[in-house]
Amino acid sequence: MERTTFRGGVHPKEWKEFSKDVPLRVFDAKKDMVFVLGQHIGRPAKPIVKKNDPVKVGQIIAEADGFVSANIACSCSGKVKAIEKRRNVAGAMMECIVVENDGQYEQISDWTKREELSGLSNEDILNRVKAAGIIGLGGAGFPTHVKLAPKDPLAIRYLIVNGAECEPYLTCNDQLMRSKAPEIVEGVEILLQLFQSAVGVICIENNKPEAIMAMEKATAGKNNIHVKALPTKYPQGGERSLIQVVAGMDYPVTKLPADAGCIVDNVGTIYAIQRAVLYNEPLISHVMTVTGEGAAAPGNYWVREGTSFAELLEETGGLKEGAEVKKLLAGGPMMGIAMSSLDVPVQKNNNGLTILTTDEVEQAEAQQTACLRCGRCTTVCPQGLMPQLMASAFEFNELERYEKKLYGLDCISCGCCTFICPARRPLTQMFKQAKAEILAIKRAASEGGKK
Amino acid sequence: MNTLNISSGPHTRDAMSTKRIMYTVIIALMPATLVGIFSYGLNAFLVLLSSVVTAVLTELLFCLITKRPISIYDGSAVITGLLLALSLSPSSPLYIPILGSLFAIGVAKCCFGGLGKNFLNPALAGRCFVLISFSNTATTFKVDAVSTATPLAVLKQGKAVNITEMFFGQSNAVIGSSILALLIGGLALWAMDIIHGEICFSILISFTLFIALFGGQGFDPRFLAAHLCGGGVVMGAFFMATDYTTSPVSRLGQMVYGCLIGILGAMFRVFGSASDSFSYSIIIANLFVPMIDMFIVPKPYGHRKAALARLEGGGKKTMKEKLPVPVIVLAVITLAAGFALSGIYTMTKDTIDEQKMNANIASYQEVCPDAVSFEKIEAADTAIAELEGAVYGTGFGRAYINSAVEGKDDSGNTVGYVIGVTSMDGYDGNVTLSLGLDAEGTVNGIAFTTLNETPGMGMRVDEPAFKGQFNNKSVNAFVLNKAGNAASDEEIDTVTGASTTSGAVVNAVNAGLDFFFNTVKGGE
Repeated sequence: MERTTFRGGVHPKEWKEFSKDVPLRVFDAKKDMVFVLGQHIGRPAKPIVKKNDPVKVGQIIAEADGFVSANIACSCSGKVKAIEKRRNVAGAMMECIVVENDGQYEQISDWTKREELSGLSNEDILNRVKAAGIIGLGGAGFPTHVKLAPKDPLAIRYLIVNGAECEPYLTCNDQLMRSKAPEIVEGVEILLQLFQSAVGVICIENNKPEAIMAMEKATAGKNNIHVKALPTKYPQGGERSLIQVVAGMDYPVTKLPADAGCIVDNVGTIYAIQRAVLYNEPLISHVMTVTGEGAAAPGNYWVREGTSFAELLEETGGLKEGAEVKKLLAGGPMMGIAMSSLDVPVQKNNNGLTILTTDEVEQAEAQQTACLRCGRCTTVCPQGLMPQLMASAFEFNELERYEKKLYGLDCISCGCCTFICPARRPLTQMFKQAKAEILAIKRAASEGGKK
Repeated sequence: MNTLNISSGPHTRDAMSTKRIMYTVIIALMPATLVGIFSYGLNAFLVLLSSVVTAVLTELLFCLITKRPISIYDGSAVITGLLLALSLSPSSPLYIPILGSLFAIGVAKCCFGGLGKNFLNPALAGRCFVLISFSNTATTFKVDAVSTATPLAVLKQGKAVNITEMFFGQSNAVIGSSILALLIGGLALWAMDIIHGEICFSILISFTLFIALFGGQGFDPRFLAAHLCGGGVVMGAFFMATDYTTSPVSRLGQMVYGCLIGILGAMFRVFGSASDSFSYSIIIANLFVPMIDMFIVPKPYGHRKAALARLEGGGKKTMKEKLPVPVIVLAVITLAAGFALSGIYTMTKDTIDEQKMNANIASYQEVCPDAVSFEKIEAADTAIAELEGAVYGTGFGRAYINSAVEGKDDSGNTVGYVIGVTSMDGYDGNVTLSLGLDAEGTVNGIAFTTLNETPGMGMRVDEPAFKGQFNNKSVNAFVLNKAGNAASDEEIDTVTGASTTSGAVVNAVNAGLDFFFNTVKGGE
């Protein structure tokens, strides 16, 4: 039951022309590297190095604490300067390992010896993915080894490779697919060994014809891997949107994609898996786009984890002369986080730095009117929710109705409703707050019950 | 570096804003507005202008008094004023649009919280306010200073109306009555995704089906088209019912709301009084919107039964799931019933006509006692058909000629004539009577076939003291004498306190006489 597209969604301006044809370049930082211990979903990693310990590129400096957690590999060589609280992209103070970068990039291994897939068991694959500290690089940061171990691997029918890159401005995955297509296909084959009854579907929005062509070339002759060109529409790259399109299935947020017979991984993650499984290389760098009206030289880079955003911007051309920067985003304008300062480290799941010279949110605040009840938010919601009713329930503090009757917790915070709202109401923001409040109440209730 | 803005995502917005939506709607209303001004002239323009200006000023004043931010620039007040004026008669005295706008914005919109908070469509609330307050003035439609019946009033009588005129907006109706112009604007708004097709099309479909099923003429396309083109159905469906604030937000809710309007509107048409039923049906449906929004909340995609079943069943879709069974069943029943009814109507049309004739014969004999049989007069029938349901002549108010027959005795000689006449100017609806004349045109008497006037007042025209006054008089026209003590043959004393009904009867008789002398006699 394939579909051509998912229901709902919006068409923001693409803004990809800044960087879409700039090939990937390696960016090596000179300054200190900061590794946030809690950059993935689950428990923060446990540091296994002490202050003043010498470290090398690829050395695991923090270990997964429990099953849903991930290792963190050092991406530079030098010595541990401190283990202390530092600010992360979202502005929160988080425990971090700070490494003084000696700029030598001495590696623990050169990761050139290739092992063939035929010699590896499923367990080997999972262990290597876990050891490499791979998490979902698309944004959510869910530990990949957990995702790759569903209850019944044979029930997985689709391995969906997310190359949609529906976020405006960002082009790094486009460039990754153009330059590393055969490696990505190998990564897909590794995963298909885990899921014997699945087919691999590489999903790419049709605004990236070069990437589609490259992937088609790389998959030629392989009958269990297909490339699927999708209409350009946000949030095409959302997990649920892709499953709707590929498997024709909807599932409640309480279920996992595996319950719908699908595993969804970002192309960047797949590439990291290929490196980890065939070459034993840990996750030390990933692709990022530096872009926006305010960027002097927009481009796509291999960026090491822990690099400071400030250094990344400075060394890649800096701000455009005379540009009046209004907003700095970690990510793109739909899902990205506005940063208060660039003095924060790059995490594994950051895929862009967008420099905006006009802040549409600021303009929107000036244009805000009362809700017209026009229903646009309902039309675009990819989850089939009723944002208008949810917002009014939240405003009247009817959290019970919000959760039970309006299924408010199903909101995936994609931002479509806020984007489309002609009354310029900050809907997504309200829903994030409502979710936080409801979860806080629940947590308090369950803790109270335990006592 | 200057200070950075921090806010929750998304950090970009669509170009469509409240203001832009409102101005697009205003532009979409322009074809109807311009056609209205073109067809009805200066007074229509003044009605439009006064309505819009009052609407904007009222909102401005309200904002100033209540110290709210000035909201007039969003264009919503202009739309309200425009819609209100378009649904008024072009001959309205200017206090009507002004008071209507004042009520629409001041009471229906601002008092309930302004934009997005009102529970009634402001324009319709304003319209209903002036309709109720000034029912006579507001529903009078004058073309060239002669009061005429609206096409729907004519249709209600079972007569044919000129659909082409209705389509292009030249018939006697409100300023925004050109169906073509309204459709251009409405369909453009729908194509631009500004109004919800769920609402307008469910209104049109449910309305048409209901009229077809219960209107008594089945799927007769001319009949259905006349109903669709008249009485603000198109304006209601595309511009009034689709008002965001007073319509449900869910798709299913919108369809329920649309069907509610369509069915209510059609019910009022078929079983109630014809004019303005659509305004009321939309207003009533507006009241149900909070309830619809409360109860009709579609489940999110992942929670729907089909999705959950598929999740369990490993992705297979059953055949049954694919077919919208209830929709098919309902559609089949509706279509079958509609065709059956139209079939029956066509088959029995002659019989119905015959029965109508028989029913009338009783009244014919009352006013033409010498005749034993009645026959059609071809010239008169042709003349009646040529009228196409329009008001007969001038100077008879809203009078219509229904029929004309000649009475014959045993040997086939013409002994008299009976003319069936209706006047719409009764105090409480229509007055229909049979006017009996002898071969020379002297009145034998009158008999009422429809009379729904006030008992003890208007109903007294059926007493011999009043209707006997016409008997055995040979005049060209009667005159109503409100002072009493009629002196000449022409003068008819009014029923005390019921001069409206008396006048309607006199006008009807005069129209009948005129038709007799000019067409029945003149034709021979």
